[in-house]
Amino acid sequence: MTMSTLIAERHPSDPLFRADRLPHIWCPGCGIGPAMHAYAQAMVESGIPLARHVCVSGIGCTGRVPGYLNMDSYHTTHGRAIPFAMAIALVKPELEVTVYSGDGDLFAIGGNHFIHAARRNVDINVICINNFNYGMTGGQVGPTTPMGARATTAPFGNYEQPFNLPHLAAATGAVFVARWTSLHLRQLKQAMLRAMKKRGFTFIEVLAPCPVGFGRPNDIGDAMEEMTLYREGCVVDPAAPLDSLDIDLRVKDRPIVLGNFVDVERPVFDPLAMMRPTSEAENNTAVAGKTQEGQ
Amino acid sequence: MTVTTQAAPAATQEQEMLISGSEAIAEALTLADIDVVTAYPIRPYDTVMQAIAKKISGGKLVAEYIVAEGEHSQFEIVKHASTVGARVFCGSSGVGWAYAMECLVVTPALRVPMVAMVGNRALDDPGAFGVEHNDALFVRDLGWLLCWIDSSQEALDTTLIAYRVAEDRRIFLPIAISADGAFLTHSQAITKVPSKSLVDKFLPPYNRGDLQLHPDNPITVAPQVNEDWVIEIRRQNNAATERAYTVIEEAYADFRRVFGRGPENPWFEEYMTEDAEIILMGMGTLSLPVKVAIRKMRQEGKKVGLIRLRWFRPFPYEQLARALGTAKAIGVIDRDYSFGSPFGSGVVATEVRAALYNAERRPPLIGFICGLGGREVTLEDVYKTTEICYSAAKAGKTEQATYWLGVRE
Repeated sequence: MTMSTLIAERHPSDPLFRADRLPHIWCPGCGIGPAMHAYAQAMVESGIPLARHVCVSGIGCTGRVPGYLNMDSYHTTHGRAIPFAMAIALVKPELEVTVYSGDGDLFAIGGNHFIHAARRNVDINVICINNFNYGMTGGQVGPTTPMGARATTAPFGNYEQPFNLPHLAAATGAVFVARWTSLHLRQLKQAMLRAMKKRGFTFIEVLAPCPVGFGRPNDIGDAMEEMTLYREGCVVDPAAPLDSLDIDLRVKDRPIVLGNFVDVERPVFDPLAMMRPTSEAENNTAVAGKTQEGQ
Repeated sequence: MTVTTQAAPAATQEQEMLISGSEAIAEALTLADIDVVTAYPIRPYDTVMQAIAKKISGGKLVAEYIVAEGEHSQFEIVKHASTVGARVFCGSSGVGWAYAMECLVVTPALRVPMVAMVGNRALDDPGAFGVEHNDALFVRDLGWLLCWIDSSQEALDTTLIAYRVAEDRRIFLPIAISADGAFLTHSQAITKVPSKSLVDKFLPPYNRGDLQLHPDNPITVAPQVNEDWVIEIRRQNNAATERAYTVIEEAYADFRRVFGRGPENPWFEEYMTEDAEIILMGMGTLSLPVKVAIRKMRQEGKKVGLIRLRWFRPFPYEQLARALGTAKAIGVIDRDYSFGSPFGSGVVATEVRAALYNAERRPPLIGFICGLGGREVTLEDVYKTTEICYSAAKAGKTEQATYWLGVRE
């Protein structure tokens, strides 16, 4: 057997990506790529035809994800992915709409949209790659930068309380809330599958290494070291109290808690419900082609 | 990286540093001893906010540094800080500047002397990080004073001058300093950095006087006035903009007196225009390829010159009419677009045409749109521009009012 026979001509996921858009913009060791692949696999396994999936992003490194996926996708203005996605989900409820964007985009400039979409329980999935900084613009401090972590605009270390994203999502009304890392790709894919099967506002936080923007100023040598940090520092505890999910890298041995924390039912946002005949309104969960699965 | 070289012998109160346009602005802000700065990252403006953060962490500058959650709040915060008497700085690029638009409208209307930097960047969509001037031009009709710079030295000097002009009680208007993304924000050059004591001779402290919000001076900022007062207030803003012609000239004269350098003509730089048959015009860093091309064309006997516009608001229409009157043809290179404009020209060409309307001599004027989205303005583009201008000069009229150059077909 020659070496060449070991090299596959095609990767099973090739049809899901736009090879003509390569090389991608992400730095070596970036955690966005593996998390994007988990999303692609989840789409395939979801049983929902790819033609019914839509991916919407804002601006930033993670915002480039829709451009690399060979599917209907939208690269919106900074922070506005959720309103775009909301419009698509309301006009075409048969579509599986996923927002795939970064922490800076979703929780700084676009934070307002997140809390209101969650409050209304709009039928979209929000996947947030959290790399603790604004990566694309050069590693500035953001609303998810852990206390004490350094950034180009926080040379003494961040002194602002960051968001505890799962807690925020649950408190504002999300019906499914999870946190995984780009090391925990199987669990991440399973969480995505659950989110796709579920009606209502779902949220998945994905912790991902940013060796250039976040790792370098914080003495994390490379992406492997940040992945090791995840492997050694993460514990899976779906029953953990939501207010205990803060990430504080200053405290040695303080675990980063992962899991699917919330999976509840709540009426899905349906502004036209009151205009429909009663019998139809009662059946609004059975939108064509997309039925709610039990717990 | 900042490299300090030997002090310039001519001015012992200045030291030379190898710094980028953005770092030069941060040096000026340190010398101006700003009080409040807000930040939200977007390329290429982010290089300024990082340079300021370094100044603060290095103990060179004591200022409130607030990281906002978006450009809208970024500009709101400094606006209000200015009303309580703080010297403020802010900035953005491209769509970030656009997102701050509501606050940008209010800032001159409230007579807030903010100094802002716009790292010029193409607007989305389709996305690009490179330079276009349309972002800063958003505010051209609102009372913002607007200028374009083309070197690190001019970045530093203009920032000091901007505070002096903006905070002049006769003005109290915001000033946006535009720097071409990448070409200037990221390019380093040897820059003279003056001492604090020298700067103090030029730039007095910010004094908002009776307009300052203070517990001892209860006033209402931004009350609703309806039709009772709006047009009167608009006219006051216009009067302040007109006074800026005098105040800017005074500031540049004083700058030369204190620092022993700086341009005599604040409004525009003239390069080989004395005997020029063809005068090319533009703003920002495109002056570099244009100057190189002019030197080469001069060797071939072509009398070509350049006017690089520094101040776009207030627009130096009288000075330009005089400077352009002797040319046989004028070519304006716009690094911007204005779809549906008269003759389909860019913004600068349209303004220059208007400035020449009442002039005694109106040479043929051709608009060129070039270098959009960060594409380079090449020597070939400049040769082509000149060639078209010569044809117009020969014919005594323009056959085509606007050309797009360097575009793939």
